[in-house]
Amino acid sequence: MAVREKLLIAVDETETSMHALHYVAQIAGCMEPMTICLLHIYPEPPPDFYLKGGTLASYKENQNAKAERVFSQAMIILEKAGVNKARVSTDNRFAEGKTISEELLAVRSEGDFGTVVVGKRGVSRTEEFLFGSISNALAQHSTSFTTWIVGSDDH
Amino acid sequence: MIIDWNLYPKEIVPRLKAHRVMKSVRKPPRLVTDTSDFTSITYGDIIHVDGRYFIIVGHTREGRFGIDSQIKPWVPKVQDLMNGERFIIKLVFHETYDLKIGELKVTCFRSPEKEARVLELVGNNPYFMHGCSVLDEVDNLVRILDIIDGRRLDNHIAKLGASHEEYVAEHLKEMLVRFLTSVAGIRLLHDNGLKHGDIRRDHIFVERESGTFRWIDFDYDFYVPERPYAMDLFGLGNVLLFILGKQNFRVGDVVNHPDMGEKIMKTINTNDLSLLAQDRIFNLKKLFPYIPDSLNNILLHFSVGTQVFYNSVAEFQDELQQAVDTL
Repeated sequence: MAVREKLLIAVDETETSMHALHYVAQIAGCMEPMTICLLHIYPEPPPDFYLKGGTLASYKENQNAKAERVFSQAMIILEKAGVNKARVSTDNRFAEGKTISEELLAVRSEGDFGTVVVGKRGVSRTEEFLFGSISNALAQHSTSFTTWIVGSDDH
Repeated sequence: MIIDWNLYPKEIVPRLKAHRVMKSVRKPPRLVTDTSDFTSITYGDIIHVDGRYFIIVGHTREGRFGIDSQIKPWVPKVQDLMNGERFIIKLVFHETYDLKIGELKVTCFRSPEKEARVLELVGNNPYFMHGCSVLDEVDNLVRILDIIDGRRLDNHIAKLGASHEEYVAEHLKEMLVRFLTSVAGIRLLHDNGLKHGDIRRDHIFVERESGTFRWIDFDYDFYVPERPYAMDLFGLGNVLLFILGKQNFRVGDVVNHPDMGEKIMKTINTNDLSLLAQDRIFNLKKLFPYIPDSLNNILLHFSVGTQVFYNSVAEFQDELQQAVDTL
């Protein structure tokens, strides 16, 4: 049973993601007993990564470092808005053999998160067709939980 | 020309000595066991893999839509010296490039491993080319492919019907029924986590005797982690466009067409064009009003004006099957 006070916020290094975080911090950050999980997901490496001599271990190391930077930046935003640090956790996942939205939905289900937050930037139809839209995927699957899709123009 | 015949098993020497290729080469054939440098492997050389000896009798060409241009040196045509059977061999060629789609780019690459996995998965499935993969001396993945006796789908369709209307009346349903087997084939790949990678109208071969549509060329792949099958889906839309139109129509084709011209051209707007390559007209109903709505509506999913995308081949297949059932 999804717990609506458990927020899962998808974060990455984009401005869109940080906008979403600001939004959550201002709207709901101080509400008790809200808890927040910052989720960073990274995809499988591009094919030429291995051909150029890259290893999975080095790829993961880079992605983990990137996630740590994102989490630090996110924590600053949340703390500034008065969110108690003790109520914030982080999770960094590798979407192995899955799309990012599939991994996000899996994490949501595992943790019974009742509210999922993602940022959304304006993309062309072509871009959406080719590269997909995590917010659209979430909207399609939001039957047993609530999704907040935060547009980048709201700030 | 001095040839060391001791390099070869006794049972293939007579065939090799008598081979027509041996009469036209000026240097002794090279026995190649390491295929890494495919550019150095030439006509008359013998590739020795999997205990077999394949003499190179030619090379395939990149035959893109009527223009036979560049030789593909990594894809030689060969003959097995043991039994005389002909094959196409694909050698490892790791190529990566960015496909530009408007301002967007998709990273494409050749993956011998992916092609090998597809060949293994499809086995003797009649709707795919067949072949096997073996390792050379230094573990390059060499693919040995059966040759399909047939011709490219676009060349096949071009010869059907004197006019588009006649083609639609007499041949379209049959083409679509066969295309549905191709679509089911792609669904099989996707269901097993694999992509075709380069779906084009010249990557379906129509078997001469049976008319069966068979997919060829599985070594391309692309990096689109969130929508891994989007490019395959769009490829299917492009092939359907060609099957319904009997050709692709760009603005110039409409203007210059004796039955269309400026009058029809004025009815075309941006929403009628391809979502990815905005020079192709996907709303064929405006060019050929007798095309059934059910088929044209499938095409519109790939147009600029679409509000809904297909998310899977299954969705595309289901709608196409329903449309074909009503023809």
